[in-house]
Amino acid sequence: MREEYVIDPALIAWKKGETEGLSFSYQVLLDGANGGPEAIRFRFDPCPSVYAHMHLTSQFQLLLSGCMQMPRRSLNLLPVSIHYTDHNTPYGPFSVSPGHDMLVLHPKRGGLISMAHIAARRQINLAGRLLVGAINENRWTTGADSHDVEVQMVMPRAEGPGADAFSLSPGSLTPVEQSAFGRYEVVLKGSVTCSGRELRTPGLRFVRGVEVAEPMVARSDGAVIVVLTFDADAEEGGLNGEGLAVAAEEAMAMAI
Amino acid sequence: MTLVIADEPVHAISQEKMEPLLVAVFADFVCPYSYLAVDQMDRLVSEYNVRVMWRPYWLHPETPLDGTPVEQLPATQERRSATVAWLKEMAPEQAARIRFPDRLYCSLPAFEALEFAAERDRSMPFKSAVFSLLWEKSVDIGQISNLQRAGEMAGLDAEELGRDLRERRHLPHAIHALIQAREFQITSTPTLLLGRVRINGWHYYEVLESALERQGISKRQSA
Repeated sequence: MREEYVIDPALIAWKKGETEGLSFSYQVLLDGANGGPEAIRFRFDPCPSVYAHMHLTSQFQLLLSGCMQMPRRSLNLLPVSIHYTDHNTPYGPFSVSPGHDMLVLHPKRGGLISMAHIAARRQINLAGRLLVGAINENRWTTGADSHDVEVQMVMPRAEGPGADAFSLSPGSLTPVEQSAFGRYEVVLKGSVTCSGRELRTPGLRFVRGVEVAEPMVARSDGAVIVVLTFDADAEEGGLNGEGLAVAAEEAMAMAI
Repeated sequence: MTLVIADEPVHAISQEKMEPLLVAVFADFVCPYSYLAVDQMDRLVSEYNVRVMWRPYWLHPETPLDGTPVEQLPATQERRSATVAWLKEMAPEQAARIRFPDRLYCSLPAFEALEFAAERDRSMPFKSAVFSLLWEKSVDIGQISNLQRAGEMAGLDAEELGRDLRERRHLPHAIHALIQAREFQITSTPTLLLGRVRINGWHYYEVLESALERQGISKRQSA
């Protein structure tokens, strides 16, 4: 059995949102309905301090353009960076520079809870992981299975969740494998054919289940793909309709 | 239902009769996030049956004894602006008191002085005095005279402290403490060891409370 969602952001309308003084544009790429994945593309307006917050599920943030600076951990995220957090793991405040464009990718609906919320602070996941990686143009290596594919391990899976980038020459295929906890495959450059559809940046696919999906095929301009793989933390937390989850759901609903 | 013996709740008696839980704080005086931990630890001591041990972790061993001008540090202005914004949101009271110094000071003499204070059971007031001088008055804590000032604030014999610092009498202890921090695999400040729970980096006070309460340490009834 397999869940598979293919999303072309070019077909999805932009909207305007605002929360706690932060204004932004956004596209809801996947709404998380019926236990499915939740994916939102955000373009934050420049902001010196986006408030500290957390989500009640695992999260990959994929920074496509602009800069996000997180002073507490001296993290200066530049495109293309990947920022991962476990469920109930707070981050921020952070600053956002002009030209910001980011994908927020959840295995299920995660809500949003400001760390100004005192009760939320008592439910912080102290063992929560915060991992960061970046795609480096100088770090490509030839793939073991094919000379048409160059690879880059951005976030080693030994640490749990993983991020791998693939540079595909025209006609080459993305690697496929089972993903029990779900994975996002995002087009960063060029274009691919995926389930009969053409996807350009930042088109994406979410796959979950023991049955593997068909590979994506790079089109004539080649493609760069990043694969973001969740681990068991994806099954933790979530919006269960109780306590903090209610507040988190309401906050997200008010923001977007 | 709470059982009452001699007009006092059972859990209140047992908590206070227990040995205080040891809380170790690995920190560097030059770290603004460690400065934020000072108030938190003072509050924790007043509200819970804990004993705080302040230990050094040296973030910048490359700093010369007379410090490094901030303009010689990488991307300082940008980083400082982001840090100020962070502090204003996360700890507005302390942020209002903070004055960022124009040099990155050398922490080692202050670590030596901390050992001097610890030998006299004054490490807690001494560390508060050093943090206060550095982060509220931009005082150079690499200077012996300024550490003597902190010593006086903490009730220590400033003359004796000055002599010991000039003769580097506590350097071996300070180095031993720094090696110990490395053995604990400390990599960020402040790192807190609250009994069995380790917290890397500054965290909300409520998180510290939860960590204690999960280990059966409840808030004092008077708190």
